[in-house]
Amino acid sequence: MTKLLIEKELKNILLSPKFVATFLVCSILILTSVYIGIQEYHNAVTQFEANQQIARQDIEQASNWNRVRNIAHRAPSPMQVFVSGLHFDIGRLSGISDFQDIKLIRSPYSDETLFAIFRFIDFAFIVQVVLSLFAILFTYDAINGERENGTLKLTFANSVSRAQYLISKFVGIWLGLIVPLLIPILIGLLLIMILDVPVSGTEWISIGSFIGLSVLYITFFIGVGILVSSLTRKSSLSFLLLLVIWIGGVLILPRMSIMAAGQLVPVQSVAQLESKQEAFRRARWDQYSSQLSQKWRARSEEMSGMTNEERQAYRDDKEWEWLEEDDAARKQVQIDITDNNRKLIEETDNRKKIQEQLAFNLARISPASSFRLAAMNLAGTDIDMKNRYEESMRAYRDDFVEYTEQKQAESGNQGGFRINVSSDSGVKIDFGRDDQTLDTSGMPQYTAPVVTAGMAVSSSILDFGLMGIFIIIIFGAAFLAFLRYDMR
Amino acid sequence: MDTMNETIKQAPLLEARNLTKVYEDGVKALDNLDLQVLPGEIYAMLGGNGAGKTTTINIFLDFIQPTSGQAFINGINANEEPLEAKTNIAFVSENVQLYPNFTAIQNVDFFVRLGGRHNYSRSDYETALNRVGLQSQAFDKKLKDFSKGMRQKCGIAIAILKDSPAILLDEPTSGLDPKAGKEFIRLIGELRDEGKGILMSTHDIFRAKEIANHVGILNNGILVAQKTQAELKGVNLETLYVEYMAGYMDEAEPSLVNNLSEA
Repeated sequence: MTKLLIEKELKNILLSPKFVATFLVCSILILTSVYIGIQEYHNAVTQFEANQQIARQDIEQASNWNRVRNIAHRAPSPMQVFVSGLHFDIGRLSGISDFQDIKLIRSPYSDETLFAIFRFIDFAFIVQVVLSLFAILFTYDAINGERENGTLKLTFANSVSRAQYLISKFVGIWLGLIVPLLIPILIGLLLIMILDVPVSGTEWISIGSFIGLSVLYITFFIGVGILVSSLTRKSSLSFLLLLVIWIGGVLILPRMSIMAAGQLVPVQSVAQLESKQEAFRRARWDQYSSQLSQKWRARSEEMSGMTNEERQAYRDDKEWEWLEEDDAARKQVQIDITDNNRKLIEETDNRKKIQEQLAFNLARISPASSFRLAAMNLAGTDIDMKNRYEESMRAYRDDFVEYTEQKQAESGNQGGFRINVSSDSGVKIDFGRDDQTLDTSGMPQYTAPVVTAGMAVSSSILDFGLMGIFIIIIFGAAFLAFLRYDMR
Repeated sequence: MDTMNETIKQAPLLEARNLTKVYEDGVKALDNLDLQVLPGEIYAMLGGNGAGKTTTINIFLDFIQPTSGQAFINGINANEEPLEAKTNIAFVSENVQLYPNFTAIQNVDFFVRLGGRHNYSRSDYETALNRVGLQSQAFDKKLKDFSKGMRQKCGIAIAILKDSPAILLDEPTSGLDPKAGKEFIRLIGELRDEGKGILMSTHDIFRAKEIANHVGILNNGILVAQKTQAELKGVNLETLYVEYMAGYMDEAEPSLVNNLSEA
């Protein structure tokens, strides 16, 4: 009986004109997004390699190893084909040298602002927005539509239990939506292999988990559709309600939670932070100046009553001590300012982390946010991507600086230049190097931070669990609603 | 043995005992309804809108629970053991809709198998659809292109193929053209002759009189009159029914009702 009901549900979906339309739209969207994603990836790889080459050549062309500046680029990842996440928003390179801090600059969107307007359509977007909407389109009349049609009454005029019917309904719709969707997804994966995207074993695990997550997410919306359809008598009403729920859950709630977290845990802006730092710096230097004036006054007082000769002798005697004292005070000011800056940045960062955490936890009320966060974690294009890259670039900077210092020491060239002015030859500037390029053999290469499958899965496990709980709650509610459903 | 067979034959296929239904808003839809449908009988329930006909059918189908009293299908309590009871019944609604994207054969196949009959072949379906008068060109057409009469024919074909002892018909001829209505009545007459027990709610007094073995008139949930076909011959049912429908006759004039019931 259950098998028969499932078969009917499946057939009912597959034979409906809306299925043909939605299947075509989904397939075109998924395949187009994967194909364009692959092209983007290949372009990014070409650009990445060229940029690395240019950075190396720039080093080789440098006059000496002193103050050589390298550039580290964010390596493109095949995962961005599926979940672009923050890939397009975060800077793609940072200067690497001992005289500048690591800062990722020039994000893809800042270079190509046109694409930032409507943003890149990736697979995660299609699942989060398009497929969830389609899941609702196929389920809004799952129960009340059959009542309006008279088929519910006709079905329950037979020995069919409500539990059996609801389970069959769910399984039938699930198979009718998910299995056909797997076809374009599998073709997309095939495209990945055919078009030579180097996907590692870890990344395949992440892709598999991501597809599993997408299935859970669509399952949730199938459940919501069945629930609302079981709570209403008319399909027009359930459609309207579901549309409101969908807009609220997918579009509004994630943004609202970010705004709410912003209000609940305010974090100072960069301008505020800088002005605080500046205020402290000024106050500290003012304090130093006034202390210095006092000191000098005290020193003058020590010399009062002395003759000019005695005063000169005393000054000569104390001068070095005073200089050291003043220098130590000045150094202390620098240390205090640096400490304060670090403290303020740390405070802001901690507050930002609390805000982020609160925003994410609030956003997770909506499975759309859970899905997005888990997808980005799996793809490694999450909010921590910036930190991971900056940290690994800092580590690389240490290696690079050590390497350049060693090279510098070996070459003995301090990097100065000589200007000869002669009546014979005019002005001649000599950089003290021969025409040889710098030997960059053995130069440490920057490698992107590795996100292991374990890291990716463990960071998204919370959202997987939440999704599972959401699904259980929704199906429990749908079950209870249907047990009380008036068949007439 | 003959006596035993006679007893089995005479056990009602559909039976309502003191069936009462009071809805949550206090409306009494059924008030102590008693009726029996024996094998080989058609029982027509006549009555206006809100008289309690559909409520009776809904209780037999376990779509609603009676406030008191019992409904039995082939001796099984329809509300206590609904799944078991429903194996003994086929139902044709007022407006058979079925699945619009399925063909006639696909719809019949689904509902007949849902009714527990898995041993039919396509030719059996075709025979049944032919029998109900559906054109063979329509067998593989989707239901969305069917007229009400054609859908109704599919509904009765499903009931025929389910081959259950009892059949419930909820206003089966409403909205059908005279020819289709007549055809429909012929078909249920055939089913009755095969020994089915049929409970039919209808507004169609003429067809009820023509085909039913028993006619019951419901008014505000009360069975105000019950007559056999033979008894009806001596009574102007049309006048009586119209008077009941118009509310001319009520409990203030119980004598005629009693006379009718006892006649």
